[in-house]
Amino acid sequence: MGEFKVHRVRFFNYVPSAIRCVAYNNQSNRLAVSRTDGTVEIYNLSANYFQEKFFPGHESRATEALCWAEGQRLFSAGLNGEIIEYDLQALNIKYAMDAFGGPIWSMAASPSGSQLLVGCEDGSVKLFQITPDKIQFERNFDRQKSRILSLSWRPSGTHIAAGSIDYISVFDVKSGSTVHKMIVDRQYMGVSKRKCIVWGVAFLSDGTVISVDSAGKVQFWDSATGTLVKSHLIANADVQSIAVANQEDSFVVGTAEGTVFHFQLVPVTSNSGEKQWVRTKPFQHHTHDVRTVAHSPTSLISGGTDTHLVIRPLMEKVEVKNYDAALRKITFPHRRLISCSRKRQLLLFQFAHHLELWRLGSTVATGKNGDTLPLSKNADHLLYLKTKGPENIICSCISPCGSWIAYSTASRFFLYRLNYEHDNLSLKRVSKMPAFLRSALQILFSEDSTKLFVASNQGALHIFQLSGGSFKHLHAFQPQSGTVEAMCLLAVSADGNWLAASGTSAGVHVYNVKQLKLHCTVPAYNFPVTAMAVAPNTNNLVIAYSDQQVFEYSIPDKHYTDWSRTVQKHGFHHLWLQRDTPITHISFHPKRPMHILLHDAYMFCIIDKSLPLPNDKTLFYNPFPPTNESDVVQRRTAHAFKISKIYKPLLFMDLLDERTLVAVERPLDDIIAQLPPPIKKKKFGT
Amino acid sequence: MVQLRPRASRAPVSAEAMVDEGQPASEEEAEHGLLLGQPSSGAAAEPLEEDEEGDEESDEAPEELTFASAQAEAREEERRVRETVRRDKTLLKEKRKRREELFIEQKKRKLLPDTILEKLTTASQTNIKKSPGKVKEVNLQKKNEDCGKGNDSKKVKVQKVQSVSQNKSYLAVRLKDQDLRDARQQAAQAFIHNSLYGPGTNRTTVNKFLSLANKRLPVKRAAVQFLNNAWGIQKKQNAKRFKRRWMVRKMKTKK
Repeated sequence: MGEFKVHRVRFFNYVPSAIRCVAYNNQSNRLAVSRTDGTVEIYNLSANYFQEKFFPGHESRATEALCWAEGQRLFSAGLNGEIIEYDLQALNIKYAMDAFGGPIWSMAASPSGSQLLVGCEDGSVKLFQITPDKIQFERNFDRQKSRILSLSWRPSGTHIAAGSIDYISVFDVKSGSTVHKMIVDRQYMGVSKRKCIVWGVAFLSDGTVISVDSAGKVQFWDSATGTLVKSHLIANADVQSIAVANQEDSFVVGTAEGTVFHFQLVPVTSNSGEKQWVRTKPFQHHTHDVRTVAHSPTSLISGGTDTHLVIRPLMEKVEVKNYDAALRKITFPHRRLISCSRKRQLLLFQFAHHLELWRLGSTVATGKNGDTLPLSKNADHLLYLKTKGPENIICSCISPCGSWIAYSTASRFFLYRLNYEHDNLSLKRVSKMPAFLRSALQILFSEDSTKLFVASNQGALHIFQLSGGSFKHLHAFQPQSGTVEAMCLLAVSADGNWLAASGTSAGVHVYNVKQLKLHCTVPAYNFPVTAMAVAPNTNNLVIAYSDQQVFEYSIPDKHYTDWSRTVQKHGFHHLWLQRDTPITHISFHPKRPMHILLHDAYMFCIIDKSLPLPNDKTLFYNPFPPTNESDVVQRRTAHAFKISKIYKPLLFMDLLDERTLVAVERPLDDIIAQLPPPIKKKKFGT
Repeated sequence: MVQLRPRASRAPVSAEAMVDEGQPASEEEAEHGLLLGQPSSGAAAEPLEEDEEGDEESDEAPEELTFASAQAEAREEERRVRETVRRDKTLLKEKRKRREELFIEQKKRKLLPDTILEKLTTASQTNIKKSPGKVKEVNLQKKNEDCGKGNDSKKVKVQKVQSVSQNKSYLAVRLKDQDLRDARQQAAQAFIHNSLYGPGTNRTTVNKFLSLANKRLPVKRAAVQFLNNAWGIQKKQNAKRFKRRWMVRKMKTKK
């Protein structure tokens, strides 16, 4: 495996923003997640829970509601009073439409998917018709006294339930008038609370309305008579979210204490037809408020203030007990937020609204393997670059020479030139960006920092020549006719001749940069690419897919390499395939062409192509090579995958020079320390 | 029209001379007065001749004039006066006309945003591809020409604004609405914050939460401390300096 000096970086002060809404799409098995900073992410549950798309956030666009309608169309609404539709192909916002009702608190698509309902701050419920390319206001329902915080359609589409403060109203969709108004009890454990906020409602097809409120109750109402049927007190704090399964035999609620309760419809006695709702399982995977839950056919999905997205498969719904039945906790984005300048030992950290540039510390001390060396020079915070405007940064990159920084927001692209004079750093913005370059999904500099590659959100790839302080547009590779799919990942070869680009589903294209034409397309694979890189000298493209497969493709020969074929024939070790997080970065050792360095959030791995592949019986994780055992044993247990799990959660790992690595960690405790306060809970014995 | 100015400055000089002479040449004076009052009139030659005549008259003793000549002179005089008045009127008219044009143009300029807004909504996607070239052209033109130049500059401006708007670097909003919207959004955010973290919500602090978690761990760890970073800056700096010195000393002794 080789010994490395590792820079262990823990000053990347990144805090993911809290999850506000999740919406599950049954047709495509995708999950849309919106965060409090307005970011919307799309997870593909069938592709190993990979975050395949994301829409950057916006300061004023605090999303409060998210829903899928008409099959695959995604809508969101927020406190700025706008309904937004997202373009899932081109990865931008299709349009934003003001609902003219003040801040929007809730949104629900009709069971048929052709209508959209929003509940506003001023107490109005507005019905929108979804047309093929827009939405159109249809009518208002009877206006209520206070804000509409939750909405639910009856599956037959005839009635809706709207949760407000202190009451739930049931509307008739045809007439738009209130049928019933059900007053929710303010009493909380015998004490009258100020107000009872109905955080969520769910309308079942038999006419039952389930409500969850700030008094900690889950209540069942009969919508025909407007009466309370049953009440469960489940928490000392707010119950903030509810989601019902499509079969209506189970539902899930999330509380502010971080507990998720599963309710199921079970027969009263073993052989009677009468069924009742019973609270079956509590899950405590969150530490903070569970602001939102979703119910997929096989799992419970929850997210909240503690920024984790938790996917809990239901054991009774899982047919085969394989690794898919395990709990998934997604905390960090599945893309790179850090870039590194090897030559100057700089790290560029990307935050939502600013960039930070750090120079790594250094040490003159030496030590044994495993020693922690004292720093003789601390890491320097060189630059704090704040973006203008309210938009979040989509991507950023620092050139390998360290003298260029590029980043992009949803509407503008910025390129900066850095000048180093001894200890001073001066920054100059390159003005006059071409007008067609409005935003980029991925930015990459060539190894010698003379070329800049930009994947724009119109699907085109632009090549720029950088020389001195100026830049020049060289070429644009237009997307194949008829496709508007955005490219999300880029990789360039060390000699700068080949550029590989991959979209979310269009496969990997390799371009010849010298001749400015498409060289080849890597054979299609039905999982999204999570990382790729081109090896120096051999120009082999190494691609990691979200199902944890790693392929090596020879660009000059236009076919998979022999090693890749052997790996596919042999198969990966089952423990390798069971990892939770996708590989987010691949790099190579300049002196050892047989090595591939890659990492995900919980491990760092060096694949040595010269060693035999492990089969399922071999010990896969061998943290330290045995030193006292005989050489024979060591040789027998040695296999191609050298894995280190010392650094976690690992956000970035790269090779600085032949003997130095840099690892950027983000301990979870540091994130929790910066979150809003949780609910107080009494623990026995403390 | 600009040529008129210098002559206007000449006329008062001759008028002064006349006043010095103290001759009762009322008609001439009147005429000069007229000239004074309307600095922008007629061609330069005519009044000059007149002045010469007047000078001659004042030099000599009053002559006898025949009725016919006097009449002719009077007529001539009358004609001249009429002509100047007419000229004056046309000039005034022209001035008014120019002013009106200016007003119309200003009005148009003021109206521009609406037309842009209209264009914004109707602007098709196809224009976007053309826009970079347009912007360059516009920039060049702008450099070449002066700022206040009638129709041409206006057109350029329209183009420019349009191309910028296609880049979506700005959005036209009415400030009044925006303020209202911001206020409502803030109120909504305050509501959600108050209902989740306000009084009576039974929240603990992060520090307490973490220490509680630490208490229940099988392996006890050091407390996660939350200190105000502003405390003891001097002490911290001293400690840092001391550490650095100590390390340098240690390195030296090692070698």
